[in-house]
Amino acid sequence: MGHSAKKQKTITKSYGKFDSIDGSHPFKAAVPEGFIDYPARIRRGGKVAFFNYGLAKEMGLIPVSHQEKMDKELENKLLETFGIVIINEFDQMNGKRFSKKDLKPGKYMATRYLQLQHEDKTGRTSGDGRSIWNGQIKHKGATWDISSCGTGATALSPATAKHNRFFETGDPTISYGCGYAELDEGLSTALFSDIFHRNKISTEQTLCVIEYEKNYSINVRAHGSLFRPSHFFGYLKQGNYANLKSSIDYYIDSRREDDSFSNCPKGKKKYDYLLDYICKTFANVTAVFEDEYIFCWLDWDGDNILMDGGIIDYGSVRQFGLFHHEYRYDDVERFSTNILEQKEKAKRIVQTFIQLVDYLKTEDKKPLDSFKKHQVLEKFEEVFNQRKNYNLLKKMGLGEGAIEVLLTKHSGCVEDFKKVFSYFERAKSSKGLSRVSDGVSWDAIFCMRDLLRELPQIYLSRDEHISDLEFIEIIRSNYATERDLEINSYRKRRIREFQDLYSKLIEFSCKEDGTPKEKRLLEMTMRSAVINKMERVTGDAISLIVDLIMKQRKKLGSDEVYKLFKKFSSFQTMDPSGQSIPNKKFWSSNLMRQFYEIVKERREGI
Amino acid sequence: MKLALYSGGHDFENLGMDKALLDAIGKKNPKFAFIPSCSYLSHLEFREFVSQYRKHKVKKFIHFPIDTPFSSVMKEEVFSGDVIHLSGGNTFYFLKHLRKSKMLSELKKFVERGGVLTGLSAGAIIMTKNINTASFPSFDRDENEDNVKNLKGMGLVNFEFFPHYKNSTRYDRELLSYSKTSKRQIYACPDGSGIVMNEGRKTFVGKCYCFVNGEKILL
Repeated sequence: MGHSAKKQKTITKSYGKFDSIDGSHPFKAAVPEGFIDYPARIRRGGKVAFFNYGLAKEMGLIPVSHQEKMDKELENKLLETFGIVIINEFDQMNGKRFSKKDLKPGKYMATRYLQLQHEDKTGRTSGDGRSIWNGQIKHKGATWDISSCGTGATALSPATAKHNRFFETGDPTISYGCGYAELDEGLSTALFSDIFHRNKISTEQTLCVIEYEKNYSINVRAHGSLFRPSHFFGYLKQGNYANLKSSIDYYIDSRREDDSFSNCPKGKKKYDYLLDYICKTFANVTAVFEDEYIFCWLDWDGDNILMDGGIIDYGSVRQFGLFHHEYRYDDVERFSTNILEQKEKAKRIVQTFIQLVDYLKTEDKKPLDSFKKHQVLEKFEEVFNQRKNYNLLKKMGLGEGAIEVLLTKHSGCVEDFKKVFSYFERAKSSKGLSRVSDGVSWDAIFCMRDLLRELPQIYLSRDEHISDLEFIEIIRSNYATERDLEINSYRKRRIREFQDLYSKLIEFSCKEDGTPKEKRLLEMTMRSAVINKMERVTGDAISLIVDLIMKQRKKLGSDEVYKLFKKFSSFQTMDPSGQSIPNKKFWSSNLMRQFYEIVKERREGI
Repeated sequence: MKLALYSGGHDFENLGMDKALLDAIGKKNPKFAFIPSCSYLSHLEFREFVSQYRKHKVKKFIHFPIDTPFSSVMKEEVFSGDVIHLSGGNTFYFLKHLRKSKMLSELKKFVERGGVLTGLSAGAIIMTKNINTASFPSFDRDENEDNVKNLKGMGLVNFEFFPHYKNSTRYDRELLSYSKTSKRQIYACPDGSGIVMNEGRKTFVGKCYCFVNGEKILL
């Protein structure tokens, strides 16, 4: 056996699983009209800017024992697997020729889904405008969909729909629609999604970012299932029963191996099961978004979110430091929803699923409004409220046992506390609505996380309520003006009410499980110090951190970026159990120190 | 003046120091405040701190990072307590932020009015006249990445403190050399040992050494 043959064999053995990522996907056979299939070629000149070793190991793409170090063999494999560009309609119509050795054997799908920005409003023209699906892999009982953003202009982009013509990939006359993605966008998503993932918030994860000249990139993402509600809503709007049924059937069957679908029945009852799953998932997810101050633009089209409530497309995703509930992202042609409207939009998505399931079961499509009083929507409200109550008690620093007791035996007190908590959390600046970097906002003025972190310690220390002035002093943020902080008689009452209810909840929890008050307050102090950590990253901070990385790109290899992100994400893990211990060598790099300062500086922002 | 200078080590190694400290406090149910050298990961250190003193029936604790913004309410709570503990960590970073947050003078006043100040490693060094001992030995020193120029400590004691001392030639070489240039005695304490000051009375807990004028003395 010659030397090169030997080497070839080694490559296949080490990274052979990448070869199965070739554009094939079971959705293609299930819903032949659900996508446009594109041939593709290798895009030369790429370089790996980020590779998520942890995720790749979980997906079985590299061995668990693989060093977190890039070598030529792995880089080549990543470039040949993911560094691709589609040969689109423009290329084909203009007879563009490409080197045979660059042509990929498989075809890659751009899936169709509903998007509100398309005039059609029924999903006939919309879908993956600059993405393709690389494929699907299975490992240790888990399935992963993989897709890439920045792989060329498809016929499903808003530009094609608007101008009724096909565009050349990289056409400089159009920005959104040219088919390319940008490096800072890819790195922001990699970092942001890793932080959310570690905090058990479902999200797409970045597997790899490949950079090209002019800071363009291909951003590769993975998740159990990358299907969005909008993938199904298009067929519903069109009244295309056959495609709706086959796509929903495909989705349910593809999830049967997951824990959440292991009890899913067969036959028509499976649709009720799906509806129940969607209702609970979206109620829980929106409650978590609200309480973690996560802004994720939800709308009636069911885009920007996955079927399991996972976050996808980080373009407008943010994590606020305070409850900036009036913030709206400016998407040029329209403003987004705000964080409080997310719930109503999620509810609307659930209502659309009620219509969808009814249609599947009866083959008769009824108007959406005829389901506005459906019992599933009542269930949504119930689950949402329960989760909000749970989240609040958790943020107070209470453990699972104490939370359960309070939710079952003292729910009235929890509800009352939630109301007064909201009063302070939603208080806005007298300055009114103003322009911010990428939208509009009306500043929140109180930092409730600070209060929840400090109050148990103060109560433990002095065993009495704090004064009105002290209360305001703790919660005031840098956004608050003197006028905002005025303590009138109404606010005085609310401060007293807040403290009375907070104390009552602690007393109830102690009474129920016999824990001494001092011990409970100490537990809360320690848990709350983590959950309500002062140095919690915001969307602003993520942007600045990525800007800093972009400036240092020449000095940083992909492995350094991966290590920096890993360290930073573990530092942002708010796990009160103390099991997720971040890397103690956080300070070893000057860059990490700068990240830390950015986080502190931007902690109250959007 | 009541002070306790811990060298370092695990809680079980510091039982002697803890006992001497609690004797010096002389009060039932004292209130302890923990000031970490750096807020990063300080919740984990705070957890260890609580666990160490809960064994001695201490029940009231406050966690008070000073390198992040803090409210005046929390500050008042800390200074109305009985014990303030300065944690270990990077001495330069810690000193920089204690100075920036104007805590050095506040802590001095706290000690003057009868409060008990304790420090571990970096925290203990800062209680002395200067933080020179953080800069050696060369094989285990704090890096001055923040480029702190003013190395003056709180000056609460008239000696210098060298934590994590190991009775070995390579430590001795550097300590003996430094002692020839320093005007003050340098107390070198291995982990688990330390010094408790109670109204002028100095108690050495565990095996401690003194380096002075180029000589080493076992205390």
